[in-house]
Amino acid sequence: MTSTGLASTGIGTETGAIIATAAPQNDDGLTNLRGIALPLGLAAIVLLGWQLAVTLGHISPVILPSPISITRYIIAHYDILLMHAVPTTLESAAAFVLATLLGIALAILITYSRLAREALYPNLVFFQLIPKIALAPLFIIWLGIGSQSRITFAVFIAFFPVVIATTAGFANVDKGMLRLCRALTASEWQIFTSVRFPAALPHIFSGMKIAVTLAIIGVIIGEFITAQAGLGYLIIFATARADTEISMAAIVVLCVCGLLLYGLVALGESIANRFYSADNS
Amino acid sequence: MLAINSDAEATAVPAPLVSVRNVQKTYFTRQAPVQAVASASLDVARGEFVSLLGPSGCGKSTLLMMIAGLEQPTGGSILLGGTEISKPRRDIGVIFQDATLLPWKSALDNVLFPVRILKLPIEAYRRRALELLNMVGLSGFEHKKPSQLSGGMRQRVSICRALIHDPDILLMDEPFSALDAITRDQMNVALSEILETYKKTVVFVTHSIREAAFLSDRVVVMGGRPSTVALDMKMPFQRPRLFDIEETSEFAMVCRKLRLTIEEAHQGPLSGQTSANETRAGETRAGTIE
Repeated sequence: MTSTGLASTGIGTETGAIIATAAPQNDDGLTNLRGIALPLGLAAIVLLGWQLAVTLGHISPVILPSPISITRYIIAHYDILLMHAVPTTLESAAAFVLATLLGIALAILITYSRLAREALYPNLVFFQLIPKIALAPLFIIWLGIGSQSRITFAVFIAFFPVVIATTAGFANVDKGMLRLCRALTASEWQIFTSVRFPAALPHIFSGMKIAVTLAIIGVIIGEFITAQAGLGYLIIFATARADTEISMAAIVVLCVCGLLLYGLVALGESIANRFYSADNS
Repeated sequence: MLAINSDAEATAVPAPLVSVRNVQKTYFTRQAPVQAVASASLDVARGEFVSLLGPSGCGKSTLLMMIAGLEQPTGGSILLGGTEISKPRRDIGVIFQDATLLPWKSALDNVLFPVRILKLPIEAYRRRALELLNMVGLSGFEHKKPSQLSGGMRQRVSICRALIHDPDILLMDEPFSALDAITRDQMNVALSEILETYKKTVVFVTHSIREAAFLSDRVVVMGGRPSTVALDMKMPFQRPRLFDIEETSEFAMVCRKLRLTIEEAHQGPLSGQTSANETRAGETRAGTIE
């Protein structure tokens, strides 16, 4: 469910695929090992090829620094990288949390209000067709050059998949179950908390996994436009000086931060699964 | 065809617990109104097991859902203990064709679901839940989730769930029709046993003649489109019942009569002479039994 959810949007597919394929559960140890060894092996081969191409092909470090020199830079200047990684990660996390809350709130509205469903939902979908990156500079005009404009823009980019996934999840509830609840004189609130919301959790988490990658993208774009710190700022700063090594190092750190945030969502999902999974555990 | 069998009147019933009076149900669709139930009247006494029998789409489930308060009649009235049913009530337990269990909850927690919804003390009911699960042969499966239970086991869990808050009335909407024939037979016996222990008033919807005859005190045949009560017949078998009774000629006669009534009720006015003769023959034979 998770991997299809990610694949269908085409956004964040790469990170999604890594996590999804690395965790085939309930298999024997050998298959599990295979699931980890194969992607790592391929990555190692690509890095080795990269390294050889740079060394043997005498490619200028401005065009493409070698993996070893990037690693060396990261080790030597981890303090600077960390300093820039912190605001990017925190802003992404904040944007992600806000996007999730906003997305779920809108999904509740769409589910329970016919007016919202008919008036708001089509507009949301239409809105989604706008290339939202094009609107990023406007957020700077509206909200200034501080972190709030970056966070707002990231929320703006990231909330949509949560709305779509959560709405689908709420609608996916077994009709028989709803009828049973009505027969038991359950209130709407009881139906929501004990049936609708738990049933929608897998959908909500798949929406959240897309949202977390989009939130990072949003923050980086914000930092490209205006920032005094952050990995996006560092990338733009380094690229302007043709210092590709720093730029690459920042990208590597960015990947790590992204994986960290994604991992937290996946962790939350596995905790929720302990209570709301159909399989015994 | 609309004649209500005198058997029902012969039963000296006290004030009925459930009283269905000239109930009609018409669905208003965009094209034309569809009448599902033309006019149905029946009484169910306290402790009685009454089956509504008829083929699919005869309005029997609609009638049951109206008794459950999940659908509103468009005419007539349904009284429970003298008061009109207009919405679902907590003294009614409903069992649907599908077990409709929460997939992420254990069998035990599913049985306790009504307790949580009705805000009753969970701890106090836990013992009763375990007792019920034991009664239906599910001890050892209390902590399994529905995906690990067979279809029959799931339906047993849903029966326990319907009994947990001790409602006066059980409404069962083709509860075993999704099960295989062998499991279904087992469930029929299990249900009889459960009702020996927990005395309930039951209204049971089915399209199985054998099932209706085996389980019921009275069988009400719903017929026609839109449907009415075609026959209201007392089952002349002693309780507790075992499957032996199905091999008696008496049982065969009763089933035959029910079948012929259904056939008659669902045939158009142009139906052949033979079937009408058969029906009359069936009636006389069933009549001699009683």
